[in-house]
Amino acid sequence: MKYSFPYLGNVLVYKKLLEMLGYEVVVPPRPTQKTIDLGTKNSPEFACFPYKMLMGNYIEACEQGAGIIVTSGGHGPCRAGFYGELHERTLRHMGYDVELIIFDSIKRDLRGDVSKFFRLKGKNSLRKVISTGRVILRMLKDLDEFDKKIHTMIPYETVHGSCLKAFEEIRSSYDRCWTMKETETAYEEAKELLASIKLEEVDERDKIRIGVVGEIFVVIESSINMDIENTLCSLGCEAERSQYIGEWVDHNFFGKGREKEILKMGEDYIKIIIGGHAKQNVGHIVDYSKRGFDGVVHLMPFACLPELVSQSIIPRISEDYGIPVLTLAIDEQSGKANSMTRIEAFVDLIKNSKRKKMAAKTA
Amino acid sequence: MKIGIPNALLYYYYGPFWTEFFKELGAEVVVSHSTDKKTVDMGIGVSVPEICVPIKIFNGHVLQLLKSGVDYVFIPRMASVEKGKYFCPKFMGLPDMARHSIPGVAGKLLTMDVQSRSENIFSPKMYYSIAEKLAVSDKRIELACRKGAEVWRKFRKLGLGGRTIAEAFEGLKNPNRIKEPVKIDGPKIGLLGYVYDVYDEFVSMNVTERLRQLGINVLTFEMLSNRELKRYIKKMKKSLFWTFSDKLLGGAYKMFRERSVDGVIHVTAFGCGPDAFLGKLLELESEDSGIPFMTVRIDEHTGENHLQTRVEAFVDMLKRKTVPVGDAIRGHAKEKDRSGG
Repeated sequence: MKYSFPYLGNVLVYKKLLEMLGYEVVVPPRPTQKTIDLGTKNSPEFACFPYKMLMGNYIEACEQGAGIIVTSGGHGPCRAGFYGELHERTLRHMGYDVELIIFDSIKRDLRGDVSKFFRLKGKNSLRKVISTGRVILRMLKDLDEFDKKIHTMIPYETVHGSCLKAFEEIRSSYDRCWTMKETETAYEEAKELLASIKLEEVDERDKIRIGVVGEIFVVIESSINMDIENTLCSLGCEAERSQYIGEWVDHNFFGKGREKEILKMGEDYIKIIIGGHAKQNVGHIVDYSKRGFDGVVHLMPFACLPELVSQSIIPRISEDYGIPVLTLAIDEQSGKANSMTRIEAFVDLIKNSKRKKMAAKTA
Repeated sequence: MKIGIPNALLYYYYGPFWTEFFKELGAEVVVSHSTDKKTVDMGIGVSVPEICVPIKIFNGHVLQLLKSGVDYVFIPRMASVEKGKYFCPKFMGLPDMARHSIPGVAGKLLTMDVQSRSENIFSPKMYYSIAEKLAVSDKRIELACRKGAEVWRKFRKLGLGGRTIAEAFEGLKNPNRIKEPVKIDGPKIGLLGYVYDVYDEFVSMNVTERLRQLGINVLTFEMLSNRELKRYIKKMKKSLFWTFSDKLLGGAYKMFRERSVDGVIHVTAFGCGPDAFLGKLLELESEDSGIPFMTVRIDEHTGENHLQTRVEAFVDMLKRKTVPVGDAIRGHAKEKDRSGG
């Protein structure tokens, strides 16, 4: 039986996790137009875009022989919590003999989660599982760290493409790691590699920083969000996402991270958690503006329930904190040219207003 | 003091309680008039373009109330009325959205959190938060909750007896002339949809009446008791997270699996998120049971003729199916004789 998983972010890590536990793994192909077409065809018309993307993704994985797909569930009220149930039914209806192992929120179904955990554990000793978990977590966080780092470097690199090339190298070196020790060595090497990249000297005041907030799937998965970070970088801006898988794991499993602080900042605008990351996103926008970012790009899948609430409120935050926000809805019909034009115009406006502000200060 | 209650969304379910509650507190209650084109247009003006129609309509009603000069607009935050279940995120962020996107609401917003373990949302605890704002004592709130609950129970009883929400509202207004539930000798159709879609005459274009005129017995989810709605849901590994979607699904499962209806129509609003998933589940269920199923999706541009045509075609098909072929031909011949003279 071959195992697979949803394609989201640094999939290398999920692959490693399953491989380390001794399973044969099918890595689903990076989502392409074909994936999205397949997904759209087999999904309800008004399902959210990540649902459709994953649908196509699973179909492609099944075509390659996946028999078990490991994924996460949820407890609502966002629709993402119900994805797995519906995906499984649809796949079976289509004639694929596949099973989804869905890890639900521990609060909802602790017993089920424990039994699923032991199922995945298989014949591995508990000790091995724990040490594997530690290595994987380390890899996840390291890769997130480098991911974050290079997007503050790309706009200033002297040799075009050197950062992304380095990141590719880092990924493949992590792919060769099996133990904590190897991972640590890889980390040191990666740091050196990044330090060796030549960057232009740019005055702090001339740097433009843009935050990317929104629904977790479209924020993290570059194949469906027009590679937003690199797009922003290519326009000369530093980019930082509000969501990284490592942080998500940290918050959801260990209760660590800045999420509590962020939620507090969102309180004024959305009082309670209404599902998805709406409240966090509102908080992140406030946070970005406090940290001196120059603008925020807000990504949402078309008709995403929680993000529609934050979209309704964003104009007010933007006014209150004086930070420009561009909302882009993404779905299977998004034309890249249209979004590109909007992003370029947005960045131009930010650059202009920053230049004016600077000029006013020096004058 | 005038308190406005938007005649939209869950007003169709909890309206009688809220109205009685505020009346009991000594306020003058203004309920916005039923949805018309102008309300919708006003709502569209202040809403995010891609949000669902019911929310746009709700915003229209809020504006309507503000215009009529009320002191407060009552917009509760509907978080949960069942353990482990929620409302659609848009309901949970409703007061936030209204406060930050509709001009003029900020100072007049009267809100509270509905966070209850059951459908009975009458616990005074939830309402103490508004006592201060309205300058009433906690004691009065308690009394008002009790009085309101009585009215609401009466309202639900009327519904469970087989009356539609509209008829139940009518029954509350004229307690002396409560009409018997409509019984039609004909095919039975399960009409599934949220109360604010089916009973907003502008949205649904009065689909219940249309069906009845075509000789159809209409069954909706509010005519089923909570026990009946839960019967099949209980067996699911994971049901939907949204109370009302879950009720619709429970109703549908009962209809499909007990084969108690001849057909099912799902009325949904354009852009409704939970319904995208609910609809798929209904579709799969219909395939398994062989009972015909149709989705009617409605938005602010829907024309009446389109709805009429589709409903008629669906009903014709059902009638064809339920009447034996021989009878149908004979009946057809008779009709021809009569018309042909």
